Amino acid sequence: METMNEIKRDTLLALLNAGKRADNRGMLDYREISIQSAPLQNPDGSSLVSIGKSQVMAGVKFDIATPFADRPTEGVLSTSADLLPLASHLFETGPPSDEAIELARVVDRGIRSANTIDLKSFFLEEGKVLALYIDIFVLDHDGNLIDASALAAMSALLSCRMPKIEAGKIVRGEFSGKLPVGEKVVTCTFGKSGSKIFLDPALDEEKGMDCRLTLATTSKHICAGQKGGWGSLSEKDLMELSDISMRKGSELRSLLSD
Amino acid sequence: MGGPTENSPQLIVGGKRIDGRGMEDLRPIKIVARVLNDADGSAYIEWGKNKILAGVYGPSECIPRHDQSLYRAIVKCRYNMAPFSGAEEHGRSGPNRRSKELSKVMREAFENVIISENYPKTQIEIYVEILQSDGGTRCAALTAAAVALADAGIPMKDMLCAVAVCKIGGKMAVDPGKEEDNFGESDMPIAFSPRNGEIQLFQMDGLLTQDELQQGFALAKAASTKIRQMQVDAIRKVYEEPKSERFLLIK
Amino acid sequence: MAESRIVMPGEMLADRAERISYAYVDNGKTYSTVVGLYSEGKLVPLEGPYEPLPDDYIVGIVSEVKFSGYSVDVNCAYPAFLSSREIRERFEMGDAIFAKIIAINEMRDLELSDAKKLPAGALAKVSSVKIPRIIGKKNSMIDMVQSATGCQIFAGRNGYVWICGTGNASLAEEALRMIESQAHTHGLTDRVSVFLKGQKKA
Repeated sequence: METMNEIKRDTLLALLNAGKRADNRGMLDYREISIQSAPLQNPDGSSLVSIGKSQVMAGVKFDIATPFADRPTEGVLSTSADLLPLASHLFETGPPSDEAIELARVVDRGIRSANTIDLKSFFLEEGKVLALYIDIFVLDHDGNLIDASALAAMSALLSCRMPKIEAGKIVRGEFSGKLPVGEKVVTCTFGKSGSKIFLDPALDEEKGMDCRLTLATTSKHICAGQKGGWGSLSEKDLMELSDISMRKGSELRSLLSD
Repeated sequence: MGGPTENSPQLIVGGKRIDGRGMEDLRPIKIVARVLNDADGSAYIEWGKNKILAGVYGPSECIPRHDQSLYRAIVKCRYNMAPFSGAEEHGRSGPNRRSKELSKVMREAFENVIISENYPKTQIEIYVEILQSDGGTRCAALTAAAVALADAGIPMKDMLCAVAVCKIGGKMAVDPGKEEDNFGESDMPIAFSPRNGEIQLFQMDGLLTQDELQQGFALAKAASTKIRQMQVDAIRKVYEEPKSERFLLIK
Repeated sequence: MAESRIVMPGEMLADRAERISYAYVDNGKTYSTVVGLYSEGKLVPLEGPYEPLPDDYIVGIVSEVKFSGYSVDVNCAYPAFLSSREIRERFEMGDAIFAKIIAINEMRDLELSDAKKLPAGALAKVSSVKIPRIIGKKNSMIDMVQSATGCQIFAGRNGYVWICGTGNASLAEEALRMIESQAHTHGLTDRVSVFLKGQKKA
């Protein structure tokens, strides 16, 4: 409801202008992050990540597929996200919402731009390639699902094993080594309210903030970006945030185990 | 359940089942209550290699309004499998005919025990997500959902639990694993109201004589007592070892 | 003094028909409908939705301004309405108010009155069955949290708790979570006191 958000906006602005956040965090502090690697055995890779009270699971699975017509020698990478109704009363059952689609595409863009996965190595034979599916399952929503999902996807990829392939078919349950992973990609999402910018917005902050900026980074580059919401960002904001993202990104990356 | 074929594995070897269990043995089960922050009640269950999460909301305003009843709460239930939950191919997101049928029979089981007359014009929502499937997901899902409902404080006549029995090698056995589910001669999931042994969910396929039906039922009933105790222990733990934080821990 | 025990939905409380809140009778025996503490014929739920009663004081958030009054979100499945005739102040959407339930009609609509606007603050949602423990005997618990954190706390019987003032709201919420999760235990007041004193030094 639009007007309700406006009221929360005033409360949020007042707090931020006093230099405070509701949970006593610093403007550039993440909530507590935990990463469980490979909690599931059925997918080829998986992860369960929590940032504060947000909890997101990611599963990674291989299948055999036909390549896209314009890239006949490349494998397929496909990312999807489900905002599960048990994660929040704000989420409804039904086909993926705009929010779910945006989430999946932003996470995908970072991984794809950074060439984290060498899709050329997925070529099997003419008309046959490996497809890698990343599925994000949002289990509990308390804000900043993008960073939690990106971290879960990256951690799931790092835990992923290469399936054994025999006579053009995947032999389920048997593996040959781990998935080769290139650059580790993470995202940093900022909220902006008035002129104040803060990292890792919790749900209450998301309800009142003007807009959001997500930047995906590798150790050397910025590889994806997405602005969301109605407010605007200045050039100064963007440059500052790209700087902070590189720094904070390496902190997040250090949480990922190989 | 597909039933035995020429290439079916032998399900009984040396009098024991392929995973070494006796005919009356359940697979290992672990239940944890109160693992989600937003949901009013929640529970996580590991049953064999099944890993299933249940979340409950309610009673809350019934949306859409035209669904509401003036006399009781409407119970909604959704059984859903993650695309990465199976051991074989990558699945699709979203409901299919099987998951819709399971959602319906689960909903009906809970409608029978939830005291919905206490909350007219409202809805109670039950969501189960299969994170990893290993045969018998509907029984594990229902068992977890019952704990989630109790965790939310939704008044019920009883806390349901469910277990399936199967016929393998001509004999009745409890709690089929995946292969037994796929290649057994019959599969029969049953949900009980442990208080009086009444049946709240019943499905069956394959071929059974009346004797076998009775044997299977007895096996299921005996197993349900053990499962009920695990549900109770999971709930008691919330209060005997209180935590200020809720989180899902799988490893 | 009889010990209370934790009971489950469907668990038998008495071998005969008895009138106990949150319990039902079947075939001459009485059973619990909830997870609760049972002792000497009294069953107290350990969890559950807010069950509004007339004369309850609640914290609500104004969700809609209508011609004749206000719709208020009171953490309940049933709508709550505050008629303009019942108050002298004017409210806006998003305002937090402390009000009293004066009536509940057959359709379960709640009528509010005695409303006052609360100063700027933050809302914490707590399980409504734990509110009595958060308030404590003669306000003992809530007074302790208020003085230790420097916050003003309004605890609504409906589970909405409004934390305002210039104190440490974050610490106040932590204390509330601690009380909420341990509401059924003994010695809680002492443990909360120790926790708050420890945080003050930090």
